[in-house]
Parts: sequence; C-alpha cells; structure tokens
Amino acid sequence: MKYVVVINDHSFEIEIDSDGQIEVNGEARDVDFLNLGGSLFSIITETKSLEAVIDDDEGKIAVMMDGRLIETQVLDERAVLLAQRRGGFGMRSGEVHAPMPGLIVAVTVEKGQAVAQGETLVILESMKMQNELQSPIAGIVQSIYVSADQTVNKNDLLIEIHANADDA
Amino acid sequence: MAEQVTGINKILIANRGEIAVRIIRAARDLGIPTVAVYSDVDRTALHVRYADEAVHIGGPRPAESYLRKDTLIDVARRTGADAIHPGYGFLAENADFAGQVTDAGMVWIGPSPDAIATMGDKQAARTAVTRNKVPLIPGTAAGMPDDELIHAARAIGFPVLIKAVAGGGGKGMRPVQREEDFEAALNTARREAESAFGNGDVYVEKLLVGARHIEFQILADTHGNTVHLGERECSIQRRHQKLVEEAPSVFMDEDLRARMGEMAIAAAESVGYVNAGTIECLVDRDKNFYFLEMNTRLQVEHPVTELVTGVDLPKEQIRIARGRRMGPTENVLEPKGWAIECRINAEDPYANFMPSTGQITTMLLPTGPGVRVDSGVYTGSEITPYYDSMIAKLITWGETRSEAMLRMRRALSEYRIMGLKHNIPFHINLLNSISFIAGKFDTNFVEQRFNMHTYEQDPTPEELETLAIAATLYAHRKRLLASQVVAPAKRDTSNWKWMSRFERMHR
Repeated sequence: MKYVVVINDHSFEIEIDSDGQIEVNGEARDVDFLNLGGSLFSIITETKSLEAVIDDDEGKIAVMMDGRLIETQVLDERAVLLAQRRGGFGMRSGEVHAPMPGLIVAVTVEKGQAVAQGETLVILESMKMQNELQSPIAGIVQSIYVSADQTVNKNDLLIEIHANADDA
Repeated sequence: MAEQVTGINKILIANRGEIAVRIIRAARDLGIPTVAVYSDVDRTALHVRYADEAVHIGGPRPAESYLRKDTLIDVARRTGADAIHPGYGFLAENADFAGQVTDAGMVWIGPSPDAIATMGDKQAARTAVTRNKVPLIPGTAAGMPDDELIHAARAIGFPVLIKAVAGGGGKGMRPVQREEDFEAALNTARREAESAFGNGDVYVEKLLVGARHIEFQILADTHGNTVHLGERECSIQRRHQKLVEEAPSVFMDEDLRARMGEMAIAAAESVGYVNAGTIECLVDRDKNFYFLEMNTRLQVEHPVTELVTGVDLPKEQIRIARGRRMGPTENVLEPKGWAIECRINAEDPYANFMPSTGQITTMLLPTGPGVRVDSGVYTGSEITPYYDSMIAKLITWGETRSEAMLRMRRALSEYRIMGLKHNIPFHINLLNSISFIAGKFDTNFVEQRFNMHTYEQDPTPEELETLAIAATLYAHRKRLLASQVVAPAKRDTSNWKWMSRFERMHR
C-alpha cells in the first residue's frame, strides 16, 4: 500500500508491503511500531526509541511527540486522486461541536450572518471557565442548534457554518 | 502568655482533589485521623480512599456539596471531628464559615474570621496594611470626576491604568501610555464599565511595566511569632491563573528579600494574623515592590516553599491551630537549593487552553531523584466539568535552578496522562524556551510572548520523517483493523503488524 504524507511543507512517499516492510521515498526503514494502549505508541526506528500520542482529528492525524503537536495528512492513492480533483488537500468541516459538556452562556452570531475564520460563535462555560468556541472556517451561519442557558453534552452539534464558495 | 494547647483528635477536610489528599497526609504523619467529604461524582476520588472516614454530602455542583456550611459542620459533629481544615478554594476564605466553625466549638485550621474578612475586602485590606507602612501601588480613590482624575494621573506619572470600580475580567480596564490619550481612554473605560457592570465609576493606578508577581509565605503562631519563609516567583501565568511557580526567584537578592520579608511580616501583623498565609506583591524592573493582596489560606504552590525550607506547611498549620509554638524556622531564612512547580491542568494548550473532560485511561507518574507529585487522580478517574481543571502538581528540586529545571524536563517527559487533553506539552515548551531558562519573564510573558506553535527548535528532517512513518503506520493499522480482512503474512518480520493481529485475536 502506497501513502503520501504531508507535514508542514514536506511530503513523504511511504510504502508498506504485505509483509509490513516499510520504504520511505524508496529507501527501506527498520521500524518497530507498538501500541501501548489507547492512543499511546512506542516507535523504534533503527535504534532510536520514541513515544508518541497519535489521534485522528477530522481526517488529519495529529502526532504529539516531545511536547510538540504536529498535524499530518496521510493519503492513500485513492485519496491523493480525490484531493487532486478537489483542487487541494485539507477541507475543514463547518460543523461546530461541543468539545466538552457544559452550559451555553451565549450564542454570539445569528443565522445567515457571515463569519470569519476564528470568529467567536458560542461561549460555553465548563470547569468554572468561559470558553469561546470559534468558527473553524469562513462562511455563513447556516443553522444554530442551541441557545443561551442550555446545557450540552460533549460532541453535541451546536452550529453549522456553510463555507464561502470561493474558499471551498 | 501561658501555653494553651487545644487538643485536635480528628480533622474534617472540607475540600477535595489534591489538596484534600495533601492535608490527609499531613494529619496522618501527625497521627491524627481524618474525615473526608465527597459529592456524587467523587465517590472514587483519592481523598475518599485515603481518609479514615468518608461522608457523602450531596450533588456534584459545589453549591450542593463542598460549599454547604451547615452540612459540613453537621458531618464534623456526627463523626466526632473537632477541627476543620478548609484547604484552598471553596470555603477557605469565607469568614462566615470560619466563624460558624469556631462558634460550634471546633478548631478552624486557619486565621481568625476577622483577619479573613479584612484581607478579603480590597479597601479594608489597603487601609489595614497602610497602618504598618506597607507600600501600595500608587492610585486614586474610587469615583472621582474626570478633571480630578486627570490631575491625579499626572501626579502618579504615566503610564497609568484606568480600572473600573466594579471591574473584573479586564472589562473597563485601559492602559494609557501618554497624557494626551488619557481623556479618550477614560471615556471608553467609563462606557465599557457602564455597559458591563451598570457602574461607570473608575479609578486610576500606576501601570507597572514588566512587573513580576512575587509572593511571600508567612507563618504566625498564637505566641506572637510571625516569620516569613521566603518568596515564590509566580509570574508565569495566563489570564491571572498561575501555571508555574519557583522558589526562590531569579529576581531576588539578599537585600530585597530582607526588605520584602519585613514588609510581608508587617502586612500580616496589621491584622493580627495567625496561621499560614501569603502576601502577594508586584515587583517592577527597578525592584520597587507593592502589596497586592493577602491570601488567608494555604496556597496551591506551597510545595516549592516546603522543598527549599524543609518545613511541612499543613503540619505547621495544624500545630499552630493546636495553640503550640511553630517549629524551628531560624535555619529557613536562606533557601536551600531550588524548587519548581508545574500545574498539570486538564486543558488543551493547542486549543486556547480549553478545558478537557473525560476518563484518565493511563497515568504513568514520573519518579526518581528530586521529583514530587501531588495529585488527587489516578488511572480510571473521571475528570468532570464541575471542578477546577487542575489535576496534579509536579514539583522538582535541585541544588541549583538548572538542576531543578533539568529534572523538571525529565519528569515532564516521563509523565503520561491519556484519555484527556492536558497542558504537559505547554510545560515542555516553556522549559525549552530561552527566556524562561534565562529567567527573563514578567506576568505578561505567557500571554504576549509565548506561543505553542513556534518552537525554540523546529523538528529536524529526521524527526519529520519519523513523524511521517508513525502517522502512516497509525493510518495503515487503523485501516487494517477496520477492514477485518487480512492477508496472512508470509513471515512475521514486523512487530507492529504482529501486534495488530494479536489485538484482533484477543478482542
């Protein structure tokens, strides 16, 4: 199986054959990859021993190593084709979910309103702190599913933003 | 004065989390039994498991449990506890509760209700400490008209800070660098204060540039002894929440320590303070210091003082509450070595420090020389949205600041908490930052000059390749697990693959 991995400005071609042998940009690598439970992994490349926390995040794979969080995109051959047809990697969803349970203090936007990426949409109170939930993309507020004083559970859908056509 | 010794036979701890555990440990070291209280969601909490007795007191919201004064006193009475330790937060600085406890004939392990009330009221505290010549940040009285404020600002000297009387959370607060900007800023501040608090009254204070937050630990007994146990450097904060504390401070010299220590003792004595307390100060670049407030309780960051003085603060609190003389403190005037504390919070530093809730699925604690962890959670603990996001404190000690920092870096890299997001990555990056290592920071450092996305050292090409391999194997493994269709390998040459098959077989 062939993959293309995009990290920051770099990309790597990584091939894993049916025996689990790994090649990076055509060169063989000796890798031992072991799950330590949950999203914790131990990696020994050649003799170097490292640990990483790896999670999926909306189609991206986030690797935390040595206090640094690096987002990567791992695309198989089909995904590479699809991405090329769409005109680029990385489409972000316009859905805003509750990152934790809590109380909605305020909804600061209205339906139909244009919002910029990073603009505050909802203020959610949890753990004695008020948290501003921001728009992941620029677009138009399509639906609002919550109102002030409502309690929400983790991952509840709060707001949907419809991406601006020219950004999609 | 005749030595009056009050017996303490059992202590109720009106708190939860790591501080409840810390107090249980002190009591146990003194051979005193303890009573824990807990809410619905804290049945399995560590303080409940470690205490000799535990009593359920209500629902998960603090108002339904940890803040119920009558219930707490009732539980103390029922269990035969004759003393109450409030920890920090919740009712620790509630003068009414302290009074109720004493009125019920029990020992309050803390200062008198009067001292709590005076220091808890900003204006009363200023009046009290001024009597003992404690320096305050130069400022005006509240509610002056515009023209008088401008005169006052000129007298104080620019830059100044306009603050709302009813203020909080930075609203109605405006820094003014130059006199010509004063009027416009004043109008904005008044408008903002009016709309946010319904009160447009403001006052003007000197704006301290590059100030550090340095505090002094005070210990006072009923025999007229008041001492300080040196300073703590607490400038590493975000939104007025401390994140890292050190003892001593890189900014301190012997002369400043002597002068500030004397001031701290005078401030405590101005209210006849007894027990442990903390004098918080701002110190400007020229080493001028100003009293901010007194915290009339044990501080979160008390362990750094313990590690450089050898004094067990909760034990001293209990000893003083019993009416005894405080332990020997002559040898603590010179801090021994260096201690650093990192607050481990369930907050995601990569998502604007958003609190994170959930179950801790893995918790591997750092150990080894010079490492201490004060924690109230363990593998399997549920972090709920009802309480503070601090789940543990990691403290390291070294002969020098460098040794303490290196041990902290080691300890942070050993610490594994899985199941929720936490701020260990923040601490790792902070401990790698040149400014922090050099001791060059003020209270604005984290918010204005620190960024989780720009690293002191960017990943090398080799590191990026390792990251790429890890991400790919993760994606590949997930795909295999999802598809359930596996072609049998001709030979098992790779552990990761063997592992993924092993996991499937043992589902």
